[in-house]
Amino acid sequence: MYYQKDLVDKYLLALEKEIQKEYQGDILSTIYIGGGTPNCLNVRQLKKLFAILKPLKKSPNIEFSIELNPECIDAKKLKILKENGINRISIGIESINKENQEFMQRKISQQKIKEKINLVQSYGWNNINLDLMYGFPDENLSTLNSDLSFLLSLQPKHISTYSLMIEKHTKIFNQKITPISEDIEAKMYKRICKTLKENGYIHYEISNFCQKGYESKHNLCYWNNEQYYGFGLGAASYLENKRKINTKNINNYIKGNACLEIENLTQKDKIIYQIILNLRLKEGLNKEKFQLMYQKGINELYNYQELIQNKWLKEDRKKLFIPEKKWYISNSILIQLLEGEVQ
Amino acid sequence: MKQENIRNFCIIAHIDHGKSTLADRILEQTKALDKRELKDQMLDSMELERERGITIKLNAVQLTYQYQDKTYYFHLIDTPGHVDFSYEVSRSLAACEGAILVVDASQGIEAQTLANLYLALDNHLTVIPVINKIDLPSANVEKVEKELETIGFSKEEIVLTSAKTGEGINELLKKIIEIIPSPKGNKNKPLKALVFDSLYDPYRGVIVSIRIVEGTLHVKDTIYMMETKASYEVTRLSINTPKEKEVESLQAGEVGYLYASIKSIQDIHVGDTITIKDNPTSEKLPGYKPMKPMVYCGIYPIEANKFEDLREALEKLQLNDASLVFEPETSKALGFGFRCGFLGLLHMEIIEERIEREFKINLIATSPSVIYEIIKTDGKKIQIDSPSKMPKKEEIKKTLEPYVLANIFTPSEYIGPIMELCQNKRGTFLNMEYIDQERLTLHYELPLSEIVYDFFDHLKSVTKGYASFDYELIGYKESNLVKMDILLNGEIVDALSIIVYQEFAHSRGKTVVEKLKEIIPRQMFEVPIQAAIGTHIIARTDIKAMRKNVLAKCYGGDITRKKKLLEKQKEGKKRMKKIGSVEVPQEAFLSILSTSEKKDK
Repeated sequence: MYYQKDLVDKYLLALEKEIQKEYQGDILSTIYIGGGTPNCLNVRQLKKLFAILKPLKKSPNIEFSIELNPECIDAKKLKILKENGINRISIGIESINKENQEFMQRKISQQKIKEKINLVQSYGWNNINLDLMYGFPDENLSTLNSDLSFLLSLQPKHISTYSLMIEKHTKIFNQKITPISEDIEAKMYKRICKTLKENGYIHYEISNFCQKGYESKHNLCYWNNEQYYGFGLGAASYLENKRKINTKNINNYIKGNACLEIENLTQKDKIIYQIILNLRLKEGLNKEKFQLMYQKGINELYNYQELIQNKWLKEDRKKLFIPEKKWYISNSILIQLLEGEVQ
Repeated sequence: MKQENIRNFCIIAHIDHGKSTLADRILEQTKALDKRELKDQMLDSMELERERGITIKLNAVQLTYQYQDKTYYFHLIDTPGHVDFSYEVSRSLAACEGAILVVDASQGIEAQTLANLYLALDNHLTVIPVINKIDLPSANVEKVEKELETIGFSKEEIVLTSAKTGEGINELLKKIIEIIPSPKGNKNKPLKALVFDSLYDPYRGVIVSIRIVEGTLHVKDTIYMMETKASYEVTRLSINTPKEKEVESLQAGEVGYLYASIKSIQDIHVGDTITIKDNPTSEKLPGYKPMKPMVYCGIYPIEANKFEDLREALEKLQLNDASLVFEPETSKALGFGFRCGFLGLLHMEIIEERIEREFKINLIATSPSVIYEIIKTDGKKIQIDSPSKMPKKEEIKKTLEPYVLANIFTPSEYIGPIMELCQNKRGTFLNMEYIDQERLTLHYELPLSEIVYDFFDHLKSVTKGYASFDYELIGYKESNLVKMDILLNGEIVDALSIIVYQEFAHSRGKTVVEKLKEIIPRQMFEVPIQAAIGTHIIARTDIKAMRKNVLAKCYGGDITRKKKLLEKQKEGKKRMKKIGSVEVPQEAFLSILSTSEKKDK
């Protein structure tokens, strides 16, 4: 988000209104403050943000996360976070490679990052996630190796990885940069999985790794197809039979026109979401739960025998899952699965 | 109508040399239509089209022209304009005594100018050479005159016209009267009439275009078709002026239309001789050839449930196209479709395009094949129009393929590259003729299959588009032919099999597998593509397994996007044909044809 001071205040006001209007008083088991917003706020605004969140009812063992850029971490802000019950911190390190940082228009040294993380730890947080980005144009495996070693030296509880996606209508897309080849990107993914596993991390979702017991509860809620609120610019929610996405246009949002699109879900849509989200997980799709939710077994709704024979899908008595080795072509597997819909 | 006052002629030209504008101008000058009427006429026929769904094609028009106090009757006969239809052209010419040979004043003589001229001379026509478009700034009349002189015309014979401004048209009309002979033929002899075209009208059945050579034909006569041996009673005779005008009879030298409750255009063969059943002529007119398709291909609907729609489309097109043949065939890879026969590649493309456009059926067409002849070890001779009909190797004694005489017309600087090209295409050089110092015609014997493959594209590229060519079938020659199969993931894809000249098999095989590799997207597993002759693999490449197809990031807002993305990818797969376990896009079937033209489609 483009940083403009007076806009931030107006934005916070609109956010407060949205929460007041939409929140139904449920007890929340996770809250995630993300999307870059927290980094734009000054101390006063950050305090205001927590005041806005005050009415949300929190479960006693809530996972309360915030996303931070390493550059924006400072003692004053950390103090406020601590006072307001944040218990998980996600830091977007992305890459320590100079070229990669230039590509993202960032500049921060390894030393600086270490200092910032030490600062965070000094406030007592140990549930820390670090983000790793890979697949930059012209990136090679040795760049990735140094990023991985650096990341591991920081011993985070959780690591999220992303391959660079050049989206249409962005500045980078318009520069017509040649994306990295499919083959190298696949090799990088393999390298990440192997290295992190060797260092004791559990690969519990396509792009997510953690030490035992440190799965992101918030993100599991998405992949388990559970319901959630989403407040703020560009936020998404899933409530009752609707999936909603908010506008990314700040002016519209400030005017109170938050909602951009609503998808009304049929039973079949819900089933499709259940499948495509669950199959991102190592745990896969729980067949018993599926049966309870939809009154039919997944094998009654979809014929996926060919996928099983080709070992693109595996199943046991309890679950159906995509084996980790095939995660990287999971879209094709999901399409074939959905094509096998029993008429 | 006095026979000596009749002139039957046609206009022949290389494509785009101004044939139809010249015809329009003649219509206007003979007052058959003034400009306003020309418009009215069009409106009339459009209304007719709207009301009754018919179109009338003016393929023979009667025009009247006053000259030296006498009324002359012109029959202007239209001819199809492409080499694929050269037999029809020759029959239209046979209905005439004269021809106007139109040459563009800036382009000069080109391949079809010569091909058409020779056809006209074969039919003993009197030819009036015309240099048209003399109004163009780029016109070079002197040069074109010299070219015409080198092929046997004298300067005095040549008429200079501009169909655009009307210049020279009157002179041309006078020449038609003075030079083109009137028809001969005794109107009292037994009937002998030539069928030179036919047309299907959904309300009146088949309309037959005829030229009476000898004798007289009346309404209610019972006619006998000497080739098809069918009989009909004539229900109506008419001429086009260009409005249709009913007449009681047509006699020797005249051109007109015949109606006889004929239901199918397949019953009327162009070139057939019509006579009277009870008073037949003793001999047929010369020059008849049964219509024979030269090129075959398989046409399949992409969506299997469109098979019946495709049949209907082909049947409808066949109503007005006697040269289109088809029969159902099945392919393991493509399901149910039709084996279709065409006069040539252009004809094939026209039909495919019409099916896709007018009938909205998405097609997969297999690569075109010529008709091969096989002499089997048991001595039987068979003809095959599809690689799937090729007998086993041990049953084959001899293979033969059709050859054509190709006439390549080119600026002399390209002789070298053209000869090299023809050599590479197994051509046999016959001779060459210089038109002038800069231009010549090369004559080659070439296998038709090479022409069907990519000869024309190569010719265009080695001569930068300056050469033109035409060809005619000359017969079959023994040739070492083999069937080459393409295997995807170890399975033969029948629709991709082709018959090739053995020595070319390796390089063809390599080209095809490489091309398929480009076209077929990566699959979830590695897919070997092989070219094989029998069990012998002659070329191989692999499509690597898909490495990455995942939405790596899938949190709150990404979730609906993920579903949309999957739905879109799923939709995209529908445009592919699943062969075994491999998803193959439609273009793959044409990739066997490595022509650049096909690639553009």
